[in-house]
Amino acid sequence: MTAKDRWLVWAFLAPALILMGVMLYYPMVGTVIESFYDTSFISPEPEFVGWAVYEKVWNSRQFPEVVWNSIYWTVGVVLLQNVLGFFVAMLLNQGLPAQGLLRALVLLPFVLPGVVTAILWRFMYDPQLGLVNSIMIRLGLFEDNAAWLADADTAMAAVIFVAVWKGFPFSMLIYLAALQNVDKSQLEAATIDGAGPWRRLIDVTLPSIKEVVVVNIVLTLILTFNYFDIVWVMTRGGPQNATHIFPTRIFETGFGQFRFGEAAVYGVFSILILAVLVALYVIVQTGASKRRRTS
Amino acid sequence: MKTIFTTTALVAAFGTAAAAQTTLQFWDNQQTESGLSQFQQEAVDRFMAENPDITVEVTTIPYPEYQQRLLTAVQGGNAPDIATLDQIWVAAFAQAGAVADLTDFAASAGLTRDGFFGGAWDSAVFDGRLYGIPFNVDVWQFSFYNQDLLDAAGVEAESLTTFEGLRAAAEAMTGDGQFGVGLFGHRGEDTVVVVNSFIFSNGGEVLDASGACALDEPPAVEAMEYLQDLAQFAPEGILNANSGTMRELFLNGSLAIEFWPALEQPTLQASDINWGFVNGTAGSGGTAIGTFGGWNLAVFESSENKEAAQKFIEFMVREDVNGDVVDLIPANTAAAEAFLAENREGPAEIMAHLGNAKPRPLSARYLEVAEIQMTLFQDVFSGANVAEAATAACADIDALN
Repeated sequence: MTAKDRWLVWAFLAPALILMGVMLYYPMVGTVIESFYDTSFISPEPEFVGWAVYEKVWNSRQFPEVVWNSIYWTVGVVLLQNVLGFFVAMLLNQGLPAQGLLRALVLLPFVLPGVVTAILWRFMYDPQLGLVNSIMIRLGLFEDNAAWLADADTAMAAVIFVAVWKGFPFSMLIYLAALQNVDKSQLEAATIDGAGPWRRLIDVTLPSIKEVVVVNIVLTLILTFNYFDIVWVMTRGGPQNATHIFPTRIFETGFGQFRFGEAAVYGVFSILILAVLVALYVIVQTGASKRRRTS
Repeated sequence: MKTIFTTTALVAAFGTAAAAQTTLQFWDNQQTESGLSQFQQEAVDRFMAENPDITVEVTTIPYPEYQQRLLTAVQGGNAPDIATLDQIWVAAFAQAGAVADLTDFAASAGLTRDGFFGGAWDSAVFDGRLYGIPFNVDVWQFSFYNQDLLDAAGVEAESLTTFEGLRAAAEAMTGDGQFGVGLFGHRGEDTVVVVNSFIFSNGGEVLDASGACALDEPPAVEAMEYLQDLAQFAPEGILNANSGTMRELFLNGSLAIEFWPALEQPTLQASDINWGFVNGTAGSGGTAIGTFGGWNLAVFESSENKEAAQKFIEFMVREDVNGDVVDLIPANTAAAEAFLAENREGPAEIMAHLGNAKPRPLSARYLEVAEIQMTLFQDVFSGANVAEAATAACADIDALN
């Protein structure tokens, strides 16, 4: 590439880079700067306080709760969403009758807006009027109504279930596409060699799609960590902060209580965690590209 | 030459007329499906007819988005000229320098505390200055009861006005899929105002006169202990339940008593429920004291049309206008009497409850105080030791200062 070509490349890239800088990186840098200032709506003149706001957040009762909840939430959703997505993809890859209709039905939760999903499930979980308790009691699993979203011990699990219900079709779609690209001749050869379904899954299918699995997991980690609407609409972070994760805490602190400095600190922690996840994604993608070039 | 003069004169005349025309931006929010926007627009049209030099552009924003939209507008320097502010936001907006001091305007326009509900007027006062004019009000809470369920249990409605009576009634009406009392404890302002009302009615306060936390004082602790005990007669799931949840149960006949402001009446009037209400619940020998809710009209400091904005506010709170432009209760007491007589059951009782209601703490950091209160109330409803939880909450509230 000549020097002129290089200039041309940068010239074409410039509008997109400027847009990204203004829309993505300027707010991000602004958040980091704001986190070192004591600033809120009622004291609009920012005062530089160094690490003081970080110390305040770090030592608060809420911070460890938010960190633990975010881990619980993210790991729970990612694990279940991927396992369920993978097995449903396996099922839909078997050439069942009415496969098109089945795929459309499975995709339905994914196309529902998050807020609609959350409102729907709030009703389903309602202790007195909800379908969930009604079914549980009819099946004889419970004797009394359970308050799924009002009990600090069950609220997070209940919200995770909803996120998995909504999110697994996304993972399923990616796994299905990968499964359809698995070399059929290898599967046939394994079958001739006497490998059963489980053996074929472990020794042929999974190694063939392992890059897709890793990418899918990293992608869902990033998306899940950033999730806001389902949790906010269903519980607003309660009961007793049991479902407060980083995005809900940032929203409540910034827009609910006008404490912008503290919200910025939560935002910075959030950015740091996401940066690690994005780096992981880049490493996985780069490794996959190299392997493809080598093979 | 004559043509040039004529043209110049016309341009000057139209130019002057155009320059004299003032356009006001008025933001309000909508909390109910009352068709209020149409009535407000009619009132605005009337104002513009009376003031042909002023044009008012009304923006109605759904309640859940309203706070965020206002905040973003103020931060971005795009605030409207006038907006309705929740009573609990006024102090913060005043402290931030976002809204104009209306003390002198109110005095010159003859708008005084006597013409409005006292608690609503007080909610607009910060550091001795007035930053808003009360627009609409309501009070938490009235105890709405299902008369058929009370009759079946042999409960007298009047007994609901005392702590002991309410507890006995709730106990008598709980069982077989039916619940005595619609207590709720989610993280929201409706939880705060209801618990505050029990605290006020027991002689307690949230903050004392010096601004220090009073939630750990005996009257407040007793009231919260009472509610903790009363919660056993409420539907399951109290920590994620709100006033809307309880309304659903009340309307399907499985809840005997729900706590709502007078705003609930149109819903009940449209239902098949045989209902009635009493003015809250008080400790022994006391009077029930409610917690004020409602909105004030404020002029933003950034407005270049403050005089016109003040004229518009004066119009909107006028006795003959205020009742047509609100979906709660007019803050103008004369307008409120007419409004209640026409639209609500028991207008005299409602007026009495409004007359002695208290506003929530008038602090620029109210929203932080409220968050600590919500955590406290969730702890209380989870069975925590009330005195210890209140002490911890007070330490957090006092640390804000």
